[in-house]
Amino acid sequence: METLFLVVRNLKARPVRSLLTLLGILVATASMVLFLSFGEGLRKALSAEMTKFGPQIRVVAEGTGTFGVPNPELGPEVLSTLKAHADELGIARLFPAAVMMKGSGFDPATTFLFYGLPEGITPKDLAPAAKVVAGRLDPHPDGAVVGKQKAEQSRLTLGKTLRLSRKIALPIVGIVDAGSGFANSFIFVPMKTVQEALNTTNYSVILVYVKEGYAADEVAEKIEALIPGVDAQSTTEAVKYAERAIRIGDVIRFGISLIALIVGGLLVANTVMMSVYERIREFGVMRAIGARRGFIFRLVLFEALLLALSGGALGVAAGIAGSQVVNVYTTHAVGLALSAVTPRLVLFSMLVAVTLGMVAGVIPARVASRISVIEALGRV
Amino acid sequence: MKKPILQAKNLTKRYRQGEAWIEALKGFSYDFPPGVTAVVGPSGSGKTTLLNLLAGFDTPTEGEVYLAGNPLHALGEDDRAGVRLLHAGFVFQSWNLLPTLTALENVAFPMLLKGVPAKERTERARALLAEVGLSHREDHFPRQLSGGEQQRVAIARALALDPLVLFADEPTGNLDSAAGSRVLELLVRQAQGERRVVLVTHDPEVAARAERILRLKDGALIEIQERP
Repeated sequence: METLFLVVRNLKARPVRSLLTLLGILVATASMVLFLSFGEGLRKALSAEMTKFGPQIRVVAEGTGTFGVPNPELGPEVLSTLKAHADELGIARLFPAAVMMKGSGFDPATTFLFYGLPEGITPKDLAPAAKVVAGRLDPHPDGAVVGKQKAEQSRLTLGKTLRLSRKIALPIVGIVDAGSGFANSFIFVPMKTVQEALNTTNYSVILVYVKEGYAADEVAEKIEALIPGVDAQSTTEAVKYAERAIRIGDVIRFGISLIALIVGGLLVANTVMMSVYERIREFGVMRAIGARRGFIFRLVLFEALLLALSGGALGVAAGIAGSQVVNVYTTHAVGLALSAVTPRLVLFSMLVAVTLGMVAGVIPARVASRISVIEALGRV
Repeated sequence: MKKPILQAKNLTKRYRQGEAWIEALKGFSYDFPPGVTAVVGPSGSGKTTLLNLLAGFDTPTEGEVYLAGNPLHALGEDDRAGVRLLHAGFVFQSWNLLPTLTALENVAFPMLLKGVPAKERTERARALLAEVGLSHREDHFPRQLSGGEQQRVAIARALALDPLVLFADEPTGNLDSAAGSRVLELLVRQAQGERRVVLVTHDPEVAARAERILRLKDGALIEIQERP
């Protein structure tokens, strides 16, 4: 407590320098929080997505990426085989879908993902929480139901016409809020229309609901064993896969923010070192009066720690604010809040800031505590 | 046998300067009696070296030095600091006070180091500042005080833990004569009971206030002058 009071006095005595150092750490910590918040946001968004997505397994042709758009390569025999073995595999229900992507695939506003659903199946079968915003829910017999996000992004309204190919066009008959970012960017249409546009009778994907008491992972394995050439992707598997990708991203983002952190740390070390050199006589007086080495060491180390801690706390606050700004943008652009500052991220950032202060403070503290009284006071 | 309060035995300090060895202090022996003892001599005579050794700022090349019964020559730096804190007070020529602390906080600082509770510290610091006539300056920072006032705060601080020995190194060196004589008056007044006041100076008028004068020349004690 006593030492802290002395530290605060000293920092106050040099307000501009203390403030600039504080700002340096603030920016470094804020940038780290913001960088890492993307990973946390992705994790949160992903698990939310997965619970909103109805079917637990999607069966696609081998070679399709976990989150990739599948090609229509599943023949009708795949569907009939699955149907025939549904009971023994642990499948409650299943339905096929044909998917077609039009547009660049890069810019969400000009990319259109047509999700062809078979008759009797509506967006609600894909996303159980789906609600009609305008018009109707079912695209059949010959309409298109647009996900809310997609409608806003590409300014699609009821009555407008969507063109799947040169010959095929569908009027928009409904806007749906599927409650999930992915499904909200789909355009639901009758399956036969997609098949017609692609000139095929194949399916892109077969969606599977697993019976109660069965594990999706195991059912997916059994499907792959039964039918060669297919990939049965369970949502839990997809989450694991995504988690791995996010973690790699985390490491890269942390690496980038580490540069800012190192600069921040050097800033603290420099400030504290300068302050040590300026106060050599002061430390000399303290030592002459009877201060032990440990006292001076603590004094200097606390100075660095206090700078790092307060800079870190303000940086976390700034990071949270920044993350909210990012989310306003990404929610608008892709329908997902991509950035999240979780308690563990806050904890981690504060830990990094404190470590930074420690490391930056140790050398100046050592120098200060080893000052010789006679040299410091010019008594040689 | 009584513990020596401030005693030097054959105290010697040699420095290496390039190829040559310089003997800054040569076999100084003296047992300081209570009261004011002035140490005088021209510059380079070894006054500062002697004070460095007596206060435990530095270690002797040879010889022994005792402060409040503690063998400073045999102690490490931190232990010497501990002995200083409890038994010695210091008033230097300049740069005495901690610039970021108020007068009151400066006086309380040694008590803070010792771990005296805050309330007690403040009370005693107030009383000490009153004693040196600076009650109205409690909340002033050193830069807001005159040189004489700063020295008086330093004296108050030196007395904070009621030390057995008070070291003053050219305490009036930077002051005009009025402020200087007031500071000197205060210092001399502190030589009560068992307390030793060691006054290092080159000013004969300052030395004249001491009960005895030790004269140094070329690192050797050449004269001990007892005054009536």
